[in-house]
Amino acid sequence: MKILSSPRGKPSILLARAGRYEPAGPLAQAEKAGAWAAWKKTAPDVSPQAVIRLVSDARLRGRGGAGYPAADKWRAAASVEGQARYVIANGFEADPGAQVDRLLMEQDPHAVVEGLVLAAYAIGASHGYIAVHERMGEARQRLSAAVRAAEEAGYIGTNALDSGFDIHVEVVPLPGGLVVGEETTLIRAIENKRAQPDQRPPYPAHDGVWGRPTVVNNVETLSLVPWIVNNGAAAFAAIGDDDFPGTTLVQLSGSLKRPGIVEVPLGMSIRRLLALAGGPVDDAELKAVLVGGPAGGFLPPHELDTLYTPTALAAAGAIWGSGTVVAIDERTCIVDMATTLLRYLSDESCGKTIPCRIGVRRLYEIGRRATSGLARPVDAEVLGQLAADLRDAALCGLERLAPNPFMSGMRYFEEEFDQHFAHGNCPAGVCETLPTKAQAVSA
Amino acid sequence: MTDTLPVVRDTDIDASIERLLETQSPQRRQSAPALTIEVDGRQYTGREGQTILDICRDNGIDVPTLCYEPKLPGFGACRMCVVEVEGEEHPPISCSRAAEPGMVVHTQTPRLREIRKTNLELIFSDHNAYCLPPCQNKCPSHIDIPGFLKANTEGNFAEAARIFKRTIPFPSILGRVCPAPCEEHCRRDEVEEAIAIRDSHRFAGDQVLKAQGDGVKAPIPFEVQQRTGKRVAVIGSGPAGMSAAYYLLIAGHEVTIFERDEAPGGMLRYGIPQYRLPKTEVLEAEYQSVYDLGGKMVTNAALGRDFTLDDLQNQGFDAVCIAIGCYATNKLGIPNEEADGVLDGLDYLRIATLGLPYPGHKGTRVVVIGGGFTSMDCTRTSVRQGASEVTLVYRRDMKDMPASNEVHEALEEGARAIFQASPTRVLTDDKNKVTGVEFQRMRLGEPDASGRRRPEPVAGTEFVIDCDRVLLAIGQGPQLDWLSNGADGVSATRNRRLAADAITFATGRPGVFATGDVRIGAATVVQANGEGRRAAYAIDAYLRGHDLGEIRTRQTLAEPQPQFLNIVPYTDEVKEPRLRLRSMPAEERKESYVEYEIPYTQEEAMAESKRCLQCTCEAIGYCDLRRQGIEYGTTLATLEPARTGFSHRSVTENRFTGTNHDYIRDDSHAFILREPARCIDCGRCANVCKEVVGAACYDFMRTGFDTLVTTPLDMSLNTTPCVSCGRCAETCPTGALMPKPRVLEKYDVDESRCILCGICVDACPYDALRCGPDFELSHDSRAEPMLDLLAYSAIDRDSEVTFIHRERDWLARADAQGRLIGQGRMLPVLPAGVVGNGHGAEGDGHGPSGNGQHGH
Repeated sequence: MKILSSPRGKPSILLARAGRYEPAGPLAQAEKAGAWAAWKKTAPDVSPQAVIRLVSDARLRGRGGAGYPAADKWRAAASVEGQARYVIANGFEADPGAQVDRLLMEQDPHAVVEGLVLAAYAIGASHGYIAVHERMGEARQRLSAAVRAAEEAGYIGTNALDSGFDIHVEVVPLPGGLVVGEETTLIRAIENKRAQPDQRPPYPAHDGVWGRPTVVNNVETLSLVPWIVNNGAAAFAAIGDDDFPGTTLVQLSGSLKRPGIVEVPLGMSIRRLLALAGGPVDDAELKAVLVGGPAGGFLPPHELDTLYTPTALAAAGAIWGSGTVVAIDERTCIVDMATTLLRYLSDESCGKTIPCRIGVRRLYEIGRRATSGLARPVDAEVLGQLAADLRDAALCGLERLAPNPFMSGMRYFEEEFDQHFAHGNCPAGVCETLPTKAQAVSA
Repeated sequence: MTDTLPVVRDTDIDASIERLLETQSPQRRQSAPALTIEVDGRQYTGREGQTILDICRDNGIDVPTLCYEPKLPGFGACRMCVVEVEGEEHPPISCSRAAEPGMVVHTQTPRLREIRKTNLELIFSDHNAYCLPPCQNKCPSHIDIPGFLKANTEGNFAEAARIFKRTIPFPSILGRVCPAPCEEHCRRDEVEEAIAIRDSHRFAGDQVLKAQGDGVKAPIPFEVQQRTGKRVAVIGSGPAGMSAAYYLLIAGHEVTIFERDEAPGGMLRYGIPQYRLPKTEVLEAEYQSVYDLGGKMVTNAALGRDFTLDDLQNQGFDAVCIAIGCYATNKLGIPNEEADGVLDGLDYLRIATLGLPYPGHKGTRVVVIGGGFTSMDCTRTSVRQGASEVTLVYRRDMKDMPASNEVHEALEEGARAIFQASPTRVLTDDKNKVTGVEFQRMRLGEPDASGRRRPEPVAGTEFVIDCDRVLLAIGQGPQLDWLSNGADGVSATRNRRLAADAITFATGRPGVFATGDVRIGAATVVQANGEGRRAAYAIDAYLRGHDLGEIRTRQTLAEPQPQFLNIVPYTDEVKEPRLRLRSMPAEERKESYVEYEIPYTQEEAMAESKRCLQCTCEAIGYCDLRRQGIEYGTTLATLEPARTGFSHRSVTENRFTGTNHDYIRDDSHAFILREPARCIDCGRCANVCKEVVGAACYDFMRTGFDTLVTTPLDMSLNTTPCVSCGRCAETCPTGALMPKPRVLEKYDVDESRCILCGICVDACPYDALRCGPDFELSHDSRAEPMLDLLAYSAIDRDSEVTFIHRERDWLARADAQGRLIGQGRMLPVLPAGVVGNGHGAEGDGHGPSGNGQHGH
């Protein structure tokens, strides 16, 4: 996907080195572009505690969707005594529609590996995994090449940089669907077990891969760490939103003039994000944006001033999720699209819990009935009850977030849902077996 | 220095003991520090490391679970054990959440119940199975109907009768007189027509009676218990009294039955006409089973007339069971009711049922008032008595008649029926002789307590039917005049029934019990039988000194709650219409008291029973899903909107109804029966099989809605490393995995082929087989059983490799000792690369080649 230029005057961290070195090329080239400077600066003089403090001062929050403070995870894992520890860089990118993490891993693999090494150093882990989806051939090759180059240079491996600290990094390609992106599932997948989530707590920081304390960070989170080490916590904390400082990658797609991936500071409005992609295509009128991937939420045009931060998005009914924003125009029926998303989510359920295996499927079936003109009188009510119960009884994020497309749709597109559920109309004329409102009136 | 030495030593010892305790003691968990949490408003102490669920269970607080397996850590699949922890947004699941000091936990809030109910409804919406079959559910005595029908299809009629006799001792009597409420609910009706359940057990019962004629004793449902030496007096030899006597005798008590009339049978003899129930061939023959067990019958002995309760107890009866039925006909309460020609229907039937001519009945015009079985019997016997005109008048509609299924037969025989009319007065001549009855038309109003629409009189619609005789059959109550004499402590209820507990059947007088019609009012024979049986179990408990207050929940006593049904429409069955019993032509039977229904032939009986869909679940009573479904109101009764016309036919039809799965039953394994349709995907079998047993036969297969915990590729358990330990069936919360019911006859040892390997002895989990002194052992195979490598390949790499090594060592050893039998036979199961000494190429392909490594 195309890289869009960052807004004028905003710093670029994640994609700063994109295209400035040959990702699978010689290490020297990457180092010339700035790679590994942070690690060399850190080991062996800076203490692990100091690294954690630095990340803590930078107020770095996880980029995997939940926005949990990275330093808290690290501290928790570091505080468990006397055991082997692990770091996992989550580059699985479960949302098949997103290419954000893949772009990052392909463009700047050294930043991912370096960030992982810094995290491992900070918590005292001697083993790191970079989990990628098995279909990401290029990212996997480039990461492996980066790891090999760093090993050959003595930056990682036994007694890395003569610091007395061992760090071994392994790139693990994993098969699987949406749910594998969830951290406990990812851990099980790495352990070669059936990819199903485990109940948290205990969190991976206490009981992670192989039963050891484990930090699972998104590749984007880890890629930011070298920059923080190089430039200082204060510089990072000054970028963007106060609560969620720093930059992030956003994938802008759908009915937009120049779809692509852009690095922006957190806290910009969605309206400004859309402008970076040139705004809606000429003949289309924006109807909604789907923010956060398949389990994300629909926001209507009047909510476009919502800031792009996890808290603001959650308040508006969407999620940060996979870092995608999909612009939807008038040709789309929200009920139909929500139903399609639910079908996907239902099929991606690992089937472990009852509410997820059957409940998400029932959500889809309710949508399917509504888009076929067969809605039962109680369906709208049942949808609400089921969504609430799914959220409360959920084991993992998939189940908890699965009602989002319907819930946000019902919140902002009440009239459209009402037409489907109560009158059997599809105002957008998308649902084939339903008459459009105009047809229904004329008939 | 000398002072400090012992101190240092002590400390050292303490420290090392402490270390030992910490690292090795199996008691380590109990030495964990205590913590206190609050659950539902009370403080409970637990240990650090325990989950909330552990602490709740230790203290007897019920938190529902489906996927929790006590041997393993919490799994978190069913989401039933959610609890609320104060200060947390989402309710955590208690099986996986460690208790923390000071936690405030609620286990039963409305919100939690909502979540649990949603979970259960979601399960049921994809639970293509059922619990209790609807026929058994609707039977007042809950007979195992699929059970005896199955025995019927195998031609094993004695077994069918034996199954029947577990709940009712008289299959032939019931096979004739039961109104068969079961058949109204038969699911075969969804295919084409209900099964003739009653006619089927009638046939089975008749076969037993026929064999009895040849000297074969009737089958007894349970082993007769050792004599207790206790004596029980049963008063009344009707269906309730005789049922009670039967099960009391089996329980080992001595029973004497007191009968008021000269012959036993009660209403069966004096209320039901000969043409419906032959007295000698069926009634007496079937009652014989009670006498065979040792029951003593004393006839012409009436309570209140010939003896009192005091007398019985003074004679040393340890318990008395009153089952005297209802013999006092209700009065109409209209003018001239005492006129000459107005007869008590029961008095009339005492003579008429036996086929004897009732004085002055021939040629008269008879009006029968009432709509129950008594009125129907009055009507049809009146036809047979030669009455010139018989009119049945009932105040409600025909469909509300308890005996509605007989109306057509009565009409065929020439009777007339008038519905929705109620008598207002009896017309007489000057000699006080009946000349007619005036009736008033009734209109059907709102439904009453019985669910039937209440008849209301319509003014100005009076009409008169001229007649010579009026038979009153408008219901009966018990005769309770004996209460005043030697029956202290026993009392009547406000609506003139004998007061006795519905579960323990105890009256106010110690040792005196009451059951049957005298307790519940005039009811059907099958109800009376069920009452009698349950009373017998209560009396047995009393005689054995159990506290009647405490046994109320005992399964044999408490009415089961079979309201919980889960029925999926049946549409794929091949249609095979019901075989109806043929009857004699109306013209012939209206003259005769001979039984007019022509019984099945054996082929017909077997064919009819074969139509049974066997809607039954063996796990009933053990099923956690069913228990929780009832507890959380996910039952048919609670789902059914009251009288709105729109009702759920099954719990599958709840708010989440959608597509559901239809899985095929797998009975290929010798010990474990798999019914994937009953699986709720809790994962317990998979976890236990993998973590406890180590075999890993099951796992979650597929994803999304189609996920199912099953064997790889849904293949037979025989293809998995199953060791037949049965732990999966033991842990299964529903009926998805069950120990397979087996009959010993199925096992037949061909001794000419037995090589005396002894593996059967080793493998039997219950030590049912043993080596006798002469048992020769084939030491080779006993010492080194040839295990199936394929079975092990699925476990995990480590153990597979270990096994291969062991197998290779064994080969080498056997080779050295010169006792290797047929190398070719062994080799195909070993990977060629592992054997590595040239044997691999010699594989002759006999063995299963599942590991794919050797060269074929």
